[in-house]
Amino acid sequence: MRSLFKKIVLPFALVILGTLSALADGPKPPSSLSNPFVTLLAIIIVLLAVVIGVLAKLVIGSAFLKLQKEKSDKGNSKGIATLLTLFFVGLSMNLFAQDKAVSDSTAAVADKAFASGLAGVSETAYYLLGSVVILEVIIIAALLLMLKAFLAVEKKAVEVEATAAVPAKPQYDWWEKINSFKPIHQEADIDLGHNYDGIRELDNRLPPWWLYGFYICIVFAVIYLYRYHVAQSAPLSKQEYEIAVAQGEAEKAAYLEKAANNVDENTVKLITDKDQLAAAKQIFTTVCAACHTATGAGNVGPNLTDDYWLHGGSIKDVFKTIKYGWPDKGMKSWKDDYSPVQIAQLASYVKSLHGTNPPNPKAPQGTLYTEEGGSGGKAAADSTKKDSSAVSMKQ
Amino acid sequence: MQVEKFYYDNKTVKWFAYAVLVWGLVGMLAGLWIAIEMYYPPLSMGFAPTTFGRMRPVHTNAVIFAFVGNGIFMGVYYSLQRLCKARMFSDTLSKIHFWGWQLIIVAAALTLWAGCTSGKEYAELEWPIDIAIALVWVLFGINMFGTIIKRRESHIYVAIWFYIATWVTVAMLHIVNSMELPISFLKSYSLYAGVQDALVQWWYGHNAVAFFLTTPYLGLMYYFLPKAANRPVYSYRLSIIHFWALIFIYIWAGPHHLLYTALPDWAQSLGTVFSIMLIAPSWGGMLNGLFTLRGAWDKVREEPVLKFLVVAVTCYGMATFEGPMLSLKNVNAISHFTDWTIAHVHIGALGWNGFMTFGVLYYLIPKMWNTPLYSKKLASTHFWLGTIGIVLYAIPLYWAGFTQAMMWKTFTPEGQLKFQFLETVTHILPMYIARSIGGLIYISGVVLMTYNLIKTIGKGSFVADEAAEAAPFPTEIKTHGNEYWHRWIERRPMQMLVFSLIAVAIGGAIEIIPTFLVKSNIPTISSVKPYTPLELHGRDIYIREGCYLCHSQMIRPFRDEVARYGEYSKAGEFVYDHPFQWGSKRTGPDLARVGGKYPDSWHFNHMQDPQSMSPGSIMPSYPWLYEDDINAFQTPKMIWAMRKLGVPYPDGYEDKCNADLQKQANEITARLKGDKLDIKPQKEIVALIAYLQRLGKDIKAAPKQETTVTGDASVPGN
Repeated sequence: MRSLFKKIVLPFALVILGTLSALADGPKPPSSLSNPFVTLLAIIIVLLAVVIGVLAKLVIGSAFLKLQKEKSDKGNSKGIATLLTLFFVGLSMNLFAQDKAVSDSTAAVADKAFASGLAGVSETAYYLLGSVVILEVIIIAALLLMLKAFLAVEKKAVEVEATAAVPAKPQYDWWEKINSFKPIHQEADIDLGHNYDGIRELDNRLPPWWLYGFYICIVFAVIYLYRYHVAQSAPLSKQEYEIAVAQGEAEKAAYLEKAANNVDENTVKLITDKDQLAAAKQIFTTVCAACHTATGAGNVGPNLTDDYWLHGGSIKDVFKTIKYGWPDKGMKSWKDDYSPVQIAQLASYVKSLHGTNPPNPKAPQGTLYTEEGGSGGKAAADSTKKDSSAVSMKQ
Repeated sequence: MQVEKFYYDNKTVKWFAYAVLVWGLVGMLAGLWIAIEMYYPPLSMGFAPTTFGRMRPVHTNAVIFAFVGNGIFMGVYYSLQRLCKARMFSDTLSKIHFWGWQLIIVAAALTLWAGCTSGKEYAELEWPIDIAIALVWVLFGINMFGTIIKRRESHIYVAIWFYIATWVTVAMLHIVNSMELPISFLKSYSLYAGVQDALVQWWYGHNAVAFFLTTPYLGLMYYFLPKAANRPVYSYRLSIIHFWALIFIYIWAGPHHLLYTALPDWAQSLGTVFSIMLIAPSWGGMLNGLFTLRGAWDKVREEPVLKFLVVAVTCYGMATFEGPMLSLKNVNAISHFTDWTIAHVHIGALGWNGFMTFGVLYYLIPKMWNTPLYSKKLASTHFWLGTIGIVLYAIPLYWAGFTQAMMWKTFTPEGQLKFQFLETVTHILPMYIARSIGGLIYISGVVLMTYNLIKTIGKGSFVADEAAEAAPFPTEIKTHGNEYWHRWIERRPMQMLVFSLIAVAIGGAIEIIPTFLVKSNIPTISSVKPYTPLELHGRDIYIREGCYLCHSQMIRPFRDEVARYGEYSKAGEFVYDHPFQWGSKRTGPDLARVGGKYPDSWHFNHMQDPQSMSPGSIMPSYPWLYEDDINAFQTPKMIWAMRKLGVPYPDGYEDKCNADLQKQANEITARLKGDKLDIKPQKEIVALIAYLQRLGKDIKAAPKQETTVTGDASVPGN
């Protein structure tokens, strides 16, 4: 058993060490693990993964034992069943490897999607992490069942051999193994002969998982100190603070930018900024000109430079027309093509064409629209309201 | 071989057992009281001793030093005699020890209610009581070592190793942390200030958990669990390794109570890594306990003693795994200052210490009264009440802690804090109610036990001197060929004492000494000035009322804390704080920079009726501050003491300090008058307002480069 554990635990320790030291050398990204919730789940995932690894090795070990036994006995068909199980275990080992990849990538996902949620974890990351944990639990359950099945067979054999000597029932065989227990009936062998007020002491070996756990903790400590204070590849409190503030500022800026981007037909204002209008002109001449001509004089579509409008001539009306379109009259909706700001720019550009009197104008269509003065804000708003209800009815 | 006859002293054990029952109930009821105050503040009744700030130290001191303390002595006096095959060294010492300890407890309760406190958590008692504790502890040590030395066993058992380590470490912790300069019979100032005080205090505080609540109880476990199960101890090697590893590593872990504070980073990191390394040694104890029950689990189903012991050991395992997890910085960033910590310690207190004590009581009392337990069924009911009580206590608090931390940290997309502090408090009040119900159930179990034990005592007859016999101490100790190397020290209690002391002294020394000697650990800020005399009085009131038990004064370098409270706290800001007041729990908001945030009149109204200024607040009112005068006669003494401790007041300032005090008090009362609030300048509230308005202000006048921390805080000597 001892050598088996050496075989199992040492590779794992090495793998963990490898990843940790890889992390240690890294240049420190503003930490994928800066979110504590993600870290917590990641720790759970890694722990469960280690459990899976250990169990899988145990299952494989016991399966091989059984296989050998069966070979030496006879049963071929049983041997095939065992082989199948081995295949399944191999599969779960693969999954285990994938788990690692998944948990790494999740951390990356969680890193990007930091913005929403109370815990600061995006839903994707949350469900991804959660499902990895559940998957691992299922695998562990399956492995335990298999282990139990194998060990039950073994035990039967042992019991037959041991017959009268062992009347007791060592039900939790895997438990005995993982702790490298000495069977209770052999206790006398390891009794140290101490007697303190009737208390005796046994000389059981240290539970291997405990001992290696202790080693791993010590290694963790060394790497931790090395990363924070020698390599300085992990952020100390103040650096962490600076990173968090920078991140917060970036998120805030991104949001505010989006918020400004978030104009609609009720909030849109006429834009007069030259650069923005130039950008709109670029779009107009490449896209809108097809129907309205490059000058806006109209062709398939109506003339955009005169005083007559089919669907209202205020900036809000024009914005709405571009955004939702009038599909039954040939004007498509542009809201999936252009951002609200671009649509606002376009609408403003269209308004700027008014009165340019281009050559070859299309005849006026629709009703006469006169721009309301400064005092007409309220009336305009009212008309918009009416219009928008009309629009929604039509749609 | 000739056999000697002798008698075990059961009488002292009996007295300690009675004390456990009485103080246990008192301490737990005090806990229930403050648990209810958390959601029903009028329970403080406008009466100083019953406010949260004064009741909380009564609760913690009663439970730790009275309930568990007497539990330790009960268990040690019972097991030590039997493990040494000898009567206690001196009956007189036993008696002095018992009555001395009870007197200390009574004095502690009275002084704490009266507001006499040093302001350091779990070490609140004032200097005369500190000295009394040290004396009684030494007497206990003499009695213990006397017994060990006149033992009839050739070797000392693992339980006694733990007793020895406990004794020597607690002595060291208590003496170092209680260093204080008295200015009157019941008032003193900590010798250390700010960051250094914090480090020493949490080195003490953490290891009070380690060496008062853990190691002696592990010793008890090593005696009572194998006895009750009648099974051999699982692994002698495990005992050796986990004992030495535990005491060596535990002592380093203190700074994990100060993560993200102004403590130098290297010390914080040591706290974290030693906490992680502590998992295995702690679990070694749990495993040795649980594995000892191999082949005896059928007895656990039947025997109430074992039921309690098993759950106690399991809770120990859970708490000692959770603790290291909470020492990871990213977890600590959530858990610290919230109810998570409270839940964590109660798994230890209710589960490990409580259940272990109950198990021992159920074992001892029938033995000493020579009769079976009155009712196993009642004991079983107690077990279930206790278990449900723990669950109902802890889960709501875990929930509350996590929720509140998340609410603190939530920003709106526009970059504003989403929740006001008060909102995060009122949100978790239902959890506080659930917690108090859990506590009530737990206490009802204790009442049931008390009844059961009284009935048992009534039916049995007490054996004051229990006859025993053993061979005398062997003149020649046979050594087998392959004897364990450790057997050597098991024959030498004095060497055991010395080696234990060395093991526990290393960690503390490496952390504490550089923090005192290396100047770069605490960069000074020139604009940070000593408190004015009036502010000093205000600070004493702040400490007296236990404000630090609900309000921190430590803004951690987190985006949300800086947004909520202002610039994060710097080590140089606390150099005149004797003692430090960083706190460990935020039931109310941080106060490190509350100065100037509100007008004087706001504080005036708030202390009188907190709900008037912040509706929904769970803070009690402090009406006596408006009636009591500050003691201006003491001001020169305070100035003298502070200068003695290194605060640079000019020479002869003692003569002028009261004039300054008067002047500042008049200014404040004048401002209050402007808001139509009348108060005499000598009233305590004026001093408290002066102190609160000073908090965190100095740094605003500092030149920029002094407060921006450079990356020098790495390894000492770097």
